[in-house]
Amino acid sequence: MTQKQKKQITAITVFSIAFGICPAANAMHIMEGYLPVAYCIAWGVLCLPFLVTGFMKIKKTLDENRRAMTLLAISGAFIFVISSLKIPSVTGSCSHMTGTGLGAILFGPCSVSILGIIVLIFQAVILAHGGLTSLGANAFSMAIAGPFFSYGVYALCKKCNVNRRITVFLAASIGDLFTYCVTSVQLALAYPSEAGGVLASAVKFLSVFAPTQLPLAVVEGLLTAAIVICLESFAKPELKSVGYI
Amino acid sequence: MIMSDKLCYYSKLRYVNATEKFLFSVLTLTACILSRSIIIAFLVLAVTGILTVYKGKIPLSRYIKLMTVPIVFLFLGTLAIFVNVSETPLDAFAFPIGSYYITGSVQGLFHGIQLICTALASTSCLYFLSLNTPVTDILNVLRKLHVPALILELMLLIYRYIFVIIHLASDITVSQNSRLGNIRPSTAKKSFAAMVSSVFILSVRRSGELYDALEARCYNGTLQVLSEDYPVKISEILSIAAFEILLYLAVIVIRVSGGTL
Repeated sequence: MTQKQKKQITAITVFSIAFGICPAANAMHIMEGYLPVAYCIAWGVLCLPFLVTGFMKIKKTLDENRRAMTLLAISGAFIFVISSLKIPSVTGSCSHMTGTGLGAILFGPCSVSILGIIVLIFQAVILAHGGLTSLGANAFSMAIAGPFFSYGVYALCKKCNVNRRITVFLAASIGDLFTYCVTSVQLALAYPSEAGGVLASAVKFLSVFAPTQLPLAVVEGLLTAAIVICLESFAKPELKSVGYI
Repeated sequence: MIMSDKLCYYSKLRYVNATEKFLFSVLTLTACILSRSIIIAFLVLAVTGILTVYKGKIPLSRYIKLMTVPIVFLFLGTLAIFVNVSETPLDAFAFPIGSYYITGSVQGLFHGIQLICTALASTSCLYFLSLNTPVTDILNVLRKLHVPALILELMLLIYRYIFVIIHLASDITVSQNSRLGNIRPSTAKKSFAAMVSSVFILSVRRSGELYDALEARCYNGTLQVLSEDYPVKISEILSIAAFEILLYLAVIVIRVSGGTL
């Protein structure tokens, strides 16, 4: 075996091992059974007003226009699928988009709250991302806080006439970061630090998840911007039908 | 692409009444998080594991692989609970950095281990449900629990369309790969965006076609599907009841005795 071949084999081995152990960096779904009972219930109750509003809104839309039913269903499935697709990333790790930013921009935050909770139930049952007991907490951070914040940033930038690409980038990545902050605070509230209480604990959770979440937010922002620009340039009628333009 | 969804159709426990399985896993899950005890966690892990792998005939290797899905979250999250940064060292370990210590207490370590066990046991309950019950059966259980019909309808359609859209996405990805669309990060980004946007367009078009097809078949707001109900077996009910009563008794004993384990 020549020196070159040996080097190649070593490189391939290192590469394959790195890929083999590289874990999927998902969005921060709080795992099943991770939160104490009181917190599970409290976050669930906190979600209720948003869900009821979303439900009413969907019902009203459906009474006006029956066709919206299949469109909503497809939108939900679309959000699920983009959150389960592996995205290309520079480091070669296999991460997933969260899809909350794109969902909020395309379908509006109210319908995303209802669709988001259904998507979270499916993610728990089909993929074991998140869980049934942590559904309330996850719904609050990913189906409510993230989309609403994303949409707020989007609306604000649109009002200030910021460049389209930058608007979408900011909306998606800041929405992502906000979700990650909310989840960290949720964890910190449930598990305050022995030295320094809730605040210190929040800092710990934020810093522990930062290496996976910060690059993800940037990548998600870039991809969402590219997707929205792509859609705007050749999917005008479809965008109109989901109420985007 | 979605492994656990395929596996549940092969499960030998698939034809057991879905309400039984749902109640079993939800009650056991609740016992897990109520007690947060290591003994209960191991008991639950063993019971649900045996039921899924031995009774349900789900391959062990697959089961283990699926159990490691949330491992990153578990590792990172628990690390944040173990480790503290403070000016005074705690009793388990302490590494000085400048005037601060990276430190942890025995209590904290114990809580961390407790949490890992509880979380894994709870995940195994969730897997018991999802590896042995197809989603459509779970939806039937939710219907019995009086979840609004609109939500159930939406869930059924979403579930169906997840697979249609995944199929679209993977077809496009295959053809992009075969044309070297993902050869460099820059082209990969472009291909990904193109793929997602064409999936979006195709799905919106599909939704219109779906509605037309439904309307042609007299759709008036509810999908009428025949639901197969599998008979409830007395022996199963009795064994589930016995297990849950014992489990909850153990939970109460542990809670009353102070809950150190």
